[in-house]
Amino acid sequence: MGKIDRAKRRVLRQAVADNLETIRGLPPRGVRPNVRRSRLWMRRLSIVALPVMLAGSTFLLSKPVTEPMFVVQRGAPHKPLAAAAQPQPQTLTTYEKVDPAALPLNVHRVVIDAGHGGTDPGTALPTLAEKAVTLDIAMRLKKLLERGGFEVITTRTDDHLIPLRERAHIANVSSSDIFISIHVNSIVEHTSEHGVETYYLGPTRDAKLTKLAAEENRESGYSLADMRKLLDGIYMDARRDESQRLASAIQSQLYGGLRNADPGLQNWGVKRAPFLVLVATEMPAILAEVGCMSNDAEVEKMHQPEYRERIANALFDGIRTYATEKK
Amino acid sequence: MKEGSKKMADSEILHVGIDLGTSRSAISASNGERFVVDSFVGWPVDMVAKKVLKRSVMIGHEAVSNRTMLDLHRPLERGLLKEGSDKDVEAVKELLRHLLRLVGVDGNGNGRIPTSNVRAVVGVPAAALRTNKQYLRNTMKGIVDSLMIVSEPFAVAYGLDALLHTMIIDIGAGTTDFCVMKGRYPTEEDQRTLTSAGDSIDTHLLKLISERYPQANITIFMVREWKEKHSFVNKAPEKVVVTAPVNGVPTEFDITNEMKAACETLLGPTVETMLDLLSRVEPEFQERVRNNIILSGGGGLIRGLPEALQDALKQVGGGKVTYMADPVFVGSDGGLALAIDAPDTDWEKLSA
Repeated sequence: MGKIDRAKRRVLRQAVADNLETIRGLPPRGVRPNVRRSRLWMRRLSIVALPVMLAGSTFLLSKPVTEPMFVVQRGAPHKPLAAAAQPQPQTLTTYEKVDPAALPLNVHRVVIDAGHGGTDPGTALPTLAEKAVTLDIAMRLKKLLERGGFEVITTRTDDHLIPLRERAHIANVSSSDIFISIHVNSIVEHTSEHGVETYYLGPTRDAKLTKLAAEENRESGYSLADMRKLLDGIYMDARRDESQRLASAIQSQLYGGLRNADPGLQNWGVKRAPFLVLVATEMPAILAEVGCMSNDAEVEKMHQPEYRERIANALFDGIRTYATEKK
Repeated sequence: MKEGSKKMADSEILHVGIDLGTSRSAISASNGERFVVDSFVGWPVDMVAKKVLKRSVMIGHEAVSNRTMLDLHRPLERGLLKEGSDKDVEAVKELLRHLLRLVGVDGNGNGRIPTSNVRAVVGVPAAALRTNKQYLRNTMKGIVDSLMIVSEPFAVAYGLDALLHTMIIDIGAGTTDFCVMKGRYPTEEDQRTLTSAGDSIDTHLLKLISERYPQANITIFMVREWKEKHSFVNKAPEKVVVTAPVNGVPTEFDITNEMKAACETLLGPTVETMLDLLSRVEPEFQERVRNNIILSGGGGLIRGLPEALQDALKQVGGGKVTYMADPVFVGSDGGLALAIDAPDTDWEKLSA
């Protein structure tokens, strides 16, 4: 292929995707039932995997998974970061509310998924839990997106555990255009390092990423072997290309938007990993690790509403960049 | 993609764009060859005909010229393969093989480009259903190595680099296709297909002439030829006088009014659809689209049509309709551009 411009590359990708859908025998997008191969797989697997899931649930319930939560409650008064409801007056980029009808975007509806919640705190420090940070950033991002003319669906708006399958279901039934899952990293082996990274669905040979995915997928009840079967059915999906573009746009804005406030921040780039929440969603989907809670300096920043607002702004810029490219 | 072609060097791959039309089919190839043929395929009706014609199958103009001795098939209807008829399927395969032979492809190799080295982009009407596309894909198995099927007006837009804020009106024989380009692969809402097109003009013209001159012995083939030479809308550029036999005697007929009336049957539906699609464009981009309307396909040759469409645009603020000087190859050239630009990794997924 010779050098061609971006617009041509985009329409070519879409033309190829349309052909692949025809080859697969899928009906046109407009009339396609809200069911994809991944969901069919899940339905089939649900019969086979039910005992596994039940065993998994029992195992999880019997394990002291509430222990980190207990640590959180034991520590200094950790409050949900309720400041999200009233964003601080800020000097960062602000956007005036616009009428959605005037905004000719292909991306209209965005699902924001605040990672963890309820009995699953994610990374839990004495004064801060990942679940609270992700929820706070999600609420800030929701406001920004709504002001920017997008419609927003959230998988959770309070401190409750929503299973991964349920999160994917919320996204799928809402016929949303993109799915953004917000998480915060923790690398206890390298506490001096901190950075941002964005994932989209795909296979990985990196043992660390496999471990990370296993951690994030823990509450699902699926084993990695089950998930491999799920993934086999969708690796060829044209959605992956779109997810990669979305991940690139978000990663670029995330790093660009935060490095000024945090000069030591590292850009860990766009990566592929088999997170279950990305497998089961039916739209371009990414998982952003917006910071690193194993780094003390960053934890300090995470405590600041301004910094969380900055993260939300960076995510918004990434979504807007992707949406603008889609026009 | 077959194993052999994976090892092909780029220079050995032939990319082709094919505009598989109801009336004419055009092919443009990456080796610089371009051909257009009438979409007719005929087999000798009996042994006598076979002996006279000295051919087992005839294609294109040759088939039309010898139609009295042939079982003549026009395998495409409204831009799509006629389904359910084995003979029509065979006819379209012959037509495609013929087009490919013209640009140097030979199914048996024979020192030419083998079919396993051919990557083709075929344009179909905007409203073609997925089942139509699948049917075409099945029909093309073994004729090319890899196949991409796209909406014909999209191929035109791609070839002209007119991917943003443009409307393509592609008037063919079987269909008139509309497509608003918004910088993305067109969705159903961006496109429309009308069956008011070249063929419907022919049928109407034949009816009008037969009504006025019942004694004239005319066929649809004669009418098509007259239309291609003399078609116009609005003001007649000249008197249209044609010759047809009456009881075997060549006789002249003035068909100016009939030609105008038949051609203008296209005008109403085209204007209405054009304005409807325009009204669905985001308000801030409507003016840009109005000023970037491209007329392609054989229907673009109807004299006075671009001006008539521009007149109609005045009621919504005015606009500009550009007529393609080379409407016959504009679709196949666009298909070729797509074929060349698509990366190898995509072609590997699209084996025919």
